[in-house]
Amino acid sequence: MIGYLIRRILQMLIVLFFVTVFTLFLVHLFPGGPIRALLGPRATVEQVAYFNKLYGFDQPFYVQYGKWVWQLLHGNLGYSPKLNQTVTGLIAQDLPKTIVLVGLGTLVSLVFGIPLGMYQAVKRYTVSDYVLTGISFLGYATPTFFFALLLVEWFAVDSHIFPPFAPQGSSVGQVLSQPRALVLPVIAYAFLLYALWSRYMRSSVMDNLVQDYVRTARAKGASERRVLWGHIFRNSLTAIVTLLGLSLPTLVAGAIFIEVVFNYPGMGLAFYNAALNVDYQTLLGFTVLATLATIVGNLLADVSYAVLDPRVRYT
Amino acid sequence: MAPLLEISDLHTEIRLRQGVVHAVDGVSLQVEHGETLGIVGESGCGKTMTALSIMNLLPTGGHITGGSITLAGTEISGLSDDALRNVRGNEIGMVFQDPLTSLNPTMTVGKQISEAVLLHREVSKEQAMDRAAEVLDLVGLPRVRERINEYPHQFSGGMRQRVMIAMALACEPKLLIADEPTTALDVTIQKQILELIDDLRRRLGMAVILVTHDLGVIAGRADRVAVMYAGKIAETTDTGTLFANPRHPYTEALFHALPDKAAATRQRLYSIPGLPPDLTHPPTGCRFAARCRYATDRCREEEPTLRGETVQHEFACFYPVGAAERAGAAVAASEPVTYASALPPDTSGETLLRVQKLVKDFPVTKGVVLQRRVGWVSAVADVSFEIRRGETFGLVGESGCGKTTIGRLVVGLDTPTAGAINFEGKDLAKVSGRQYRRDRRKIQFMFQDSYSSLDPRMRAGTILREPLAVQGMGSKAEQQKRISEMLDHVGLPQTAVDRYPHEFSGGQRQRLGFARALMLSPDLIVADEPVSALDVSIQAQVLNLMRDLQRELGLTYLFISHDLAVVRYLSTRIGVMYLGKLVEVGPADEVYLTPAHPYTRGLIDSAPTPDPHAERAKVDAGVRGELPSAIHPPSGCRFRTRCPLAQEICAEVEPPLRPFSVNSHQAACHFPLQTPIEVEIAATATAQSQEA
Amino acid sequence: MTIMGPGAESQLSQFGVLTEAPPAEGEGGVLTATKPRSALRRGWEVFAENRLALVGVGVVVFMVLFCFVGPLIYRTNQINTNLQLATCRPGGAHLLGCDEVGYDQLGRLMVGGQTSLEVGIAAALVAVLFGTLYGAVSGFAGGFIDSFLMRIVDAGLSIPYIMVVIILSVIFHPSPIIMIFLIAAFYWLGVARLVRGETLTLRTREYVQAVKVIGGRDIRAVVRHVVPNAIGTIVVQATFAVADSILILAGLGFLGVGVQPPATDWGSMLSNGLTYMQGGNYWWLIYPPGILIIVTCIAINFIGDALRDAFETRLQRR
Repeated sequence: MIGYLIRRILQMLIVLFFVTVFTLFLVHLFPGGPIRALLGPRATVEQVAYFNKLYGFDQPFYVQYGKWVWQLLHGNLGYSPKLNQTVTGLIAQDLPKTIVLVGLGTLVSLVFGIPLGMYQAVKRYTVSDYVLTGISFLGYATPTFFFALLLVEWFAVDSHIFPPFAPQGSSVGQVLSQPRALVLPVIAYAFLLYALWSRYMRSSVMDNLVQDYVRTARAKGASERRVLWGHIFRNSLTAIVTLLGLSLPTLVAGAIFIEVVFNYPGMGLAFYNAALNVDYQTLLGFTVLATLATIVGNLLADVSYAVLDPRVRYT
Repeated sequence: MAPLLEISDLHTEIRLRQGVVHAVDGVSLQVEHGETLGIVGESGCGKTMTALSIMNLLPTGGHITGGSITLAGTEISGLSDDALRNVRGNEIGMVFQDPLTSLNPTMTVGKQISEAVLLHREVSKEQAMDRAAEVLDLVGLPRVRERINEYPHQFSGGMRQRVMIAMALACEPKLLIADEPTTALDVTIQKQILELIDDLRRRLGMAVILVTHDLGVIAGRADRVAVMYAGKIAETTDTGTLFANPRHPYTEALFHALPDKAAATRQRLYSIPGLPPDLTHPPTGCRFAARCRYATDRCREEEPTLRGETVQHEFACFYPVGAAERAGAAVAASEPVTYASALPPDTSGETLLRVQKLVKDFPVTKGVVLQRRVGWVSAVADVSFEIRRGETFGLVGESGCGKTTIGRLVVGLDTPTAGAINFEGKDLAKVSGRQYRRDRRKIQFMFQDSYSSLDPRMRAGTILREPLAVQGMGSKAEQQKRISEMLDHVGLPQTAVDRYPHEFSGGQRQRLGFARALMLSPDLIVADEPVSALDVSIQAQVLNLMRDLQRELGLTYLFISHDLAVVRYLSTRIGVMYLGKLVEVGPADEVYLTPAHPYTRGLIDSAPTPDPHAERAKVDAGVRGELPSAIHPPSGCRFRTRCPLAQEICAEVEPPLRPFSVNSHQAACHFPLQTPIEVEIAATATAQSQEA
Repeated sequence: MTIMGPGAESQLSQFGVLTEAPPAEGEGGVLTATKPRSALRRGWEVFAENRLALVGVGVVVFMVLFCFVGPLIYRTNQINTNLQLATCRPGGAHLLGCDEVGYDQLGRLMVGGQTSLEVGIAAALVAVLFGTLYGAVSGFAGGFIDSFLMRIVDAGLSIPYIMVVIILSVIFHPSPIIMIFLIAAFYWLGVARLVRGETLTLRTREYVQAVKVIGGRDIRAVVRHVVPNAIGTIVVQATFAVADSILILAGLGFLGVGVQPPATDWGSMLSNGLTYMQGGNYWWLIYPPGILIIVTCIAINFIGDALRDAFETRLQRR
């Protein structure tokens, strides 16, 4: 098990290497170079050259890379001139709020998705199954932002039940103190995820219901409820946990869209603004962080799979 | 005393998309207290559905549509699910065929068994676990306290089946239903499990319903038998009578199709023509009529009911065996054709294949990126044998013995780690490139699983043409001609060329695989378990075909199988393998009748034969213990861990192959069951010198 | 009393129940005189039975006609803006009103739809083609090459694609053509991984190994046996890829980093609609593009699901 972990971590590092090289390369894709992009078309050539030298962009790539990685390892993710803040500071400020949104949204999606998916499997091919399947399809096919827009339109603008914008504030505490403003963003965020989990649980439980070991359980005298919760649930859950770990890119994408629609002061909105302002340091820093989170998520997914499935654990 | 279980006129249906399958169509059975009832039949006969109907464990779409099932006087067929749950696992226990998929992979063994207890008894969790340990001990699981918290995949196949049996018996049911409990297990383990079930039956005073397709198992274990065909019972009586005096033509035909009976004389097997009827539209009249040798018009119109001269022996036929008014030809059970394999092997023949000191190790890797080798599986360890032109060499052994690996090495699907394979005198390893591909023509392969060895997206004609296309043989017209020829040889119609593999039955697919192997006119065909997945009647067809074509086309076979009866029937010479080693080799009859190696003896004793008397006599024989790991095989003689004759020297020195007769019968054992030749010669010499 | 669903026949075969009478067979065998049904045909039969799939196909056909043939029937001026007509209400000459710069909304939907569909399909095709090739090569080569190629895929999949695509969109101010490659550039990774898995599985199939026995080379095994049998999965993937691409493009359009005016897509139209949410009821700017996206994607999902069922049933028959 330890050996397995070590090997996975080594793999992680290899992946991190590729990713950081790629991200740095991205920066150089800005026409005229990153400094030109930052300063804008009106900067003079001398100004650009000056900053190039200052930030080390005139060095060969591998030198830049080395310096940058060195910086990263020291926790220095750069500085955003537009916002007059270190990127790390920006992260420290905005990440917790995004985590609140993502966490709540994922929780809601699981709370509804897993039981409803199981229910669908048990009541397969009946009316309720079809209705719920229809809702899942809507979840897949509706762009997150459109669904968010609709929620705002129906529940905020027209009926004034919930406020149209997310809670504003710079700290988590301030955000959490306006729970009514959190409702719509969380629901909008959760919809797509709900569709994923419920669809998966449905097909997984349906597969399991015809397995031999379920027949054995029935032959022992177990009731359908016991079969479902005592046997099938555990086996299907294993894969959901793994799926969770692998769905980080989706979680990130959702965060960006929801935060933009609701003006939620989290990392997604900050990233979007940074893109519009071509604030490359912020963009890079955020991307590296998100990548790291994804990689760690993959690792956790693998580890949890190994832990939960005894066939992997004991071979 | 009233029977324990009584099934009356049971009808079970399965609703499918394309129609309703009448899987069980009017079956009546009784099981007395403490007896073993065997239900035997081929696939599709309804035996499993009958067994599942008892506790209503039918698959989705399955329903009991008529009849009654009573357990100790109480009607259980119409019970609600809630009420039935009291019966399941409590009064009736059930054991299924595949213990790997039948156990929950994420629950420990102990927890699964204690669940059975907790469902029916008011006890605490600890008490339930204690009972689980008790019952695991009862079924012979070693080191129970340690292993009770392990997961199913950590056990071997035989151990897993013991766990399943333990689970079924945890609440001391009155009846145990065993649905093909040993089909997925090795022969030696099979004997252990069947003995265990028998033993437990006596100890616990249980009745057992044993569902199987294997007549040998029935002969050895069942008190009474019901033979099923196409959803109905064809014949039912006690075991001795069934084998000595079968009345139903189907039963009779089955016996004639078994290679066991024909083994000594090597005569042609009787193969029942046709296939079982489609149960979505069951035929009128007797269901066996379409395939019966003695069918008359009456049989086709009127359905015979189950009756007999005595209550003890009933059958459903108007013209049973021994009846005076039988139409049709007298039973031509066998043709007096003596095949080459019945003669003693011709040692003067040319050697076609010589395998020398063949070794194959497979690496065991762990890890996702950097695959580290953590060990080697010794699949084939220093095996040497010869095959002469025109003979059939049967390679027999249980799982993990290396026989399939040898087949694959000979045919080029794997490369040996060491050793040489000489074909017609040439070392195959030294040939490469185009010449190699051309030489490959002469050795062809028949796969075990006909379904996965034929590309599902290719028509039969294309599959057959492919070998010719690859080797660039013949023009299009010539290829067509050859394909037609081949189809005739294997007995498939010419229309087969346009069909896809899924449109053929299992037996037909095997023929197709055989035809493909023959396309390049090989000299040697390696057949890997070609009939193992087939029913007895279909098996007979394919075996007959193989023998006919061998004679006609002058083929040589390397026949690999775990089924000793089939191997003995078909082979001139037999090689017995155990855990990568060739432990005995020699002429088929000699090896079978006078085995020298204890493992061969054990294998022969474990294999069920359709002879009740012989089976009862085998009570203490067999091989005990489990197969050791192939990654760390035992030192010296690999069989020593399970051998009753093992001594210290067996662990230290690996026994070499020694001759036991002038017919190149050899075995590798320090304490063989026969006298080796040199000992005999020495003894004779001593005796002679003493006389002089 | 439940009726068994698709794919259940395979479960029954475990119990030795003959679910379909195989052709009758004598000592030799006389196959019944049914027309040989190819795998393609049987797959088609299962597909056609699925009513949702047929609805899906109908919807997709309608969308294509709407977007490409529509403008020929309902002619509008999509080139010159007319601020006087900005956000005019539906009715009269403008069936769905006008958008914020005066274009006829219905006509705009058609134009936007053309972009959405074109980019969606093209991106899916590019991603699937490249991903399949990559995955197949990796799966065949095995060993170190496979590990290396898959490491790259893993690395690519670790980067949250939305972030990179946004960054790239900002850099390149994409036209529809660039959008195609941008989307495909990330989507192919998932396809590659799937195809590689499929290749690995197929490699172990006996009919692929059988090629070696008859003296055939590896390349033959790949081309004649593995690829045709993997096509099922690939086609299903491609179908879902189209829906995903349309959604990604819409998302980017919404963020303002998608296609730029005068080109437009349904997502960009929604983005413009957002600004009119607060003051007054401008439903024709919001609902039509959104509903078109949803309906198209659901239809494609129906088709994809049905295709998946069709291929699986074929494979499971024994």
